[in-house]
Amino acid sequence: MHERSRRNRLLAGLALLCMGLVTLGISETAAQQQRRKAPPPVAKESPRGSEPNIKREQQPGARESVEADVSARNVAVTSSFNGTEIVIFGAIDGSQQPSAESGFYDVIVVVEGVPSRLVVRRKGNVAGLWLNIASATFDNVPSYYAVASTRPIDEVAPEEFRSLHGVGLKHLKYTPAVGQSHPLSSEDITEYRDAVMRLKRKEGLYLDRPYGVIFTGKSIFRASILLPANVTVGPFDTRVYLFREEKLLSRFTVRLTLEREGLERHLHAFAYRLPTLYGIVTVMIAVGAGLLASTVFRKASH
Amino acid sequence: MQLYLPVAEMSANVFIFLAMGGAVGFLSGMFGVGGGFLMTPLLIFAGIPAAVAVGTETAQILASSVSGALAQWRRRNVDVKMGAVLLAGGLVGSTIGVGLVGVLRRVGVFDVFVAACYVTFLGVIGTLMMIESTNTIRQTRSGRIVSGRRPGQHNWVHGLPLKMRFNRSKLYISAIPPLLLGFFVGLLAAIMGVGGGFIMVPAMIYLLRMPTNVVVGTSLFQIVFLTAATTVLHASQNYNVDVVLAMILMAGGVIGAQFGTVAGERLKGEQLRFLLAAFILAVCLRFAWQLIATPSELYTLGTSGSA
Repeated sequence: MHERSRRNRLLAGLALLCMGLVTLGISETAAQQQRRKAPPPVAKESPRGSEPNIKREQQPGARESVEADVSARNVAVTSSFNGTEIVIFGAIDGSQQPSAESGFYDVIVVVEGVPSRLVVRRKGNVAGLWLNIASATFDNVPSYYAVASTRPIDEVAPEEFRSLHGVGLKHLKYTPAVGQSHPLSSEDITEYRDAVMRLKRKEGLYLDRPYGVIFTGKSIFRASILLPANVTVGPFDTRVYLFREEKLLSRFTVRLTLEREGLERHLHAFAYRLPTLYGIVTVMIAVGAGLLASTVFRKASH
Repeated sequence: MQLYLPVAEMSANVFIFLAMGGAVGFLSGMFGVGGGFLMTPLLIFAGIPAAVAVGTETAQILASSVSGALAQWRRRNVDVKMGAVLLAGGLVGSTIGVGLVGVLRRVGVFDVFVAACYVTFLGVIGTLMMIESTNTIRQTRSGRIVSGRRPGQHNWVHGLPLKMRFNRSKLYISAIPPLLLGFFVGLLAAIMGVGGGFIMVPAMIYLLRMPTNVVVGTSLFQIVFLTAATTVLHASQNYNVDVVLAMILMAGGVIGAQFGTVAGERLKGEQLRFLLAAFILAVCLRFAWQLIATPSELYTLGTSGSA
């Protein structure tokens, strides 16, 4: 009788454990989404300073020129990296603006990650199952793209300019790669392009902030841009355009770099450069952990 | 506490994965299986890429099986000869499986393939175990004595050539069924990120008719070597073993397993099998839902190397 009640208690405990396990899977995904919403801390400059990568361009005849910088040129992606906020700040030399609120100038800030190849896969229903049945490959897809401006960009810069310079999410120049696995019609391409845009926006990797640039004085402005936790490391081109009545006055480019640092950087390199040795080390760790636990618990039970 | 996983390339909450490892470790210790059939799906449901979940879980099964296998070894519950024959088949299966993972990943169908595998195998095995354990429980309740071993009965297995004597199992059977069984389990281990205990154990009991006392020990013995080989193969060919994630899961799993082994000794075999069947069916249904339910987003992004 006593044995039986103990067994029942054990079974009840197990049932609870089972429920816990299922909810864990769900709550983890929810936690990830929530984490993305929480504002991460502003990035700190990593100690290793690199050569400033700056480019300025002055339009002929314009009296004003723009200069800008980012809050951190080198951002370290360490094990606790959970996204970061980058502040882009700048000043207009020779500003004729009477006050910060006057809206005399317009500024567009573009932060663009490394372009790379991307595969988009489409699910379709095959005999009641949802499977990946088609795909398209795009070249020159920026890993990250953010555009911030003082006003919506279509009011700031003419269409031709935005198209030429790739300003705005509409004018990203990613193109279908040569040699697709399936022939693509033009409608297909549009659908795949839209899917890239939609998914990248959902992940926080493509964003536009129509009122994200704020003048804090008659010649200084700032914009803060979020780099989410899942951002790809590498160099990011930050381009700042100064406009006055739809005419470009000056532009300025500065580069910021996201670098993986700390132990996981070495582990990542290890896993990809010496994969067999990495596998053997992993096996040794696993066996060691098992043996350690075995001895520890064996002693404890005696 | 957030930690960046270097191979999965995402940041993860250590405590959640530690708890997952602990809970699954408890169950695996109790049932005498690797726990991979629960852990790999949980990792996939938690957002770890399917291939990384499979490769990493293989390493974790190794860690949790080592302590279990040692414990069984001390109790002399291992048929080494049988284990070696199973392993010979297993290594061939694993090599082919790891290659297949690479191919499916490049084509971009690996995640769906894994889901389909889980639905098929877990569905069949869960249902069979459920029926068998329910019948046994009912028979025990009605007072009939159920014999675990029926030595007089012969099946088709005994008619095959290449006979070998397995002293520890008190068997004289052909080496072909254990080789094929090992091959099949090796293939599954590589593709699904499981140790294969959930197939190995029933197959040993019902197909090879091994005595139940050596079944768990022998299964764990061959899982240790199979998962060690599979981990190295995955790491070197598919780059899908995340050592940080594996260590988190190991820490949780190894501790959980110790308590699970103690808990398992207090339960009857048919009750264990009934519970295990329930878990298997629950995971199966979750994957089936993923395949059948209309997805809210038809498109997914990936690089050409990952699925």
